[in-house]
Amino acid sequence: MELKFNNRDPVYRQVIQYFKIQIAKGTLEPGEEIPSRRELANKLKINPNTAQRAYKEMEEEGLIFTEGNLPSRVTKDKQVLRAVREELIMEATETFIQTMHAINVSLDEVVQRVTDNYQSHLEEGEKDDRS
Amino acid sequence: MIEVKNIKKNYGRKQVLKGVSFTANKGEITCLIGVNGVGKTTIMNAIMGLTPINSGEILIEGKQLDKTSYEKITFIPDAITMLPQMKISDAMAFMNDYYQCWNQKRANDMLKFFRLEKESRISELSKGNRAKVNLLLGLALDVDYVLMDEPFSGIDIFSREQIAEVFTSHLIENRGVIITTHEIHDIEHLIDKAVLLDDGVIIKEFNAEEVRENEGKSIVDVMREVFRV
Repeated sequence: MELKFNNRDPVYRQVIQYFKIQIAKGTLEPGEEIPSRRELANKLKINPNTAQRAYKEMEEEGLIFTEGNLPSRVTKDKQVLRAVREELIMEATETFIQTMHAINVSLDEVVQRVTDNYQSHLEEGEKDDRS
Repeated sequence: MIEVKNIKKNYGRKQVLKGVSFTANKGEITCLIGVNGVGKTTIMNAIMGLTPINSGEILIEGKQLDKTSYEKITFIPDAITMLPQMKISDAMAFMNDYYQCWNQKRANDMLKFFRLEKESRISELSKGNRAKVNLLLGLALDVDYVLMDEPFSGIDIFSREQIAEVFTSHLIENRGVIITTHEIHDIEHLIDKAVLLDDGVIIKEFNAEEVRENEGKSIVDVMREVFRV
């Protein structure tokens, strides 16, 4: 588990964002067991109270659940899982469009750029797979 | 909770603590930050009753310090106080004789955790390993509060990393920890509360996550503001 934190955003939020990305990517599967709060603090080198806070918030958001004394798990709720992916995409799109808008890039150019860039990323990905 | 209330301390004519107040909670890591010579160690000594204060008071769980306080709280100085010719096992035996709250099992766990050999002589250890033994001797006591003076000072990066790991482990679980440091860089994400000290007064006391959340500032950002560097 490698995660570079920035020092200016609340660490607990960065932890939640990290979990959301893992869930959206499928690295963390629905129902999969996640580390204990203590293990997480240890792995990420963060304050145990911060890890606790992140888990509490994720539990409240329905992202993870805990039954009795068992380890916490990723939710199996399809609606929540879909919402996680949706939220990540919305956030990234919003930031991107704002930047494009601020420097007056037309919608046509945005679309063209996105298409080209996406394509070259795919090709790079294939190259990486072969090497 | 440890409550430090308006403590003042003079050394001769020089006032080193000019009315210091802050609190440190159980289950949290509180960090006293300030440049060298600003009074951090004096505060630690005052909490431990090792140095008399001229005024103010210090409470632990609402009560003034007395002889039984030393079964609740321990101080780990910035350098090991055991004799260099002692083996680690001798130092452990000494602590066992001296303190009722010595926890042999935890001490053995920590030996493993730090990958130290019981039969090594303190004089033969690297600076980093000596710092680990020093920490071990304090943390193996079953006390509610642990005070550590500059645990990261003057040791190699790998030892620093290993010591930082203590702060995320069960070794400090449910305890209150106060550490002093003049170097926050490695431990920004490890501490709950920062207490900034300058020239014998507390200039700011804050929860690190709250400042990140409400002001978008890192601990170092806040330090830069208040220390005006």
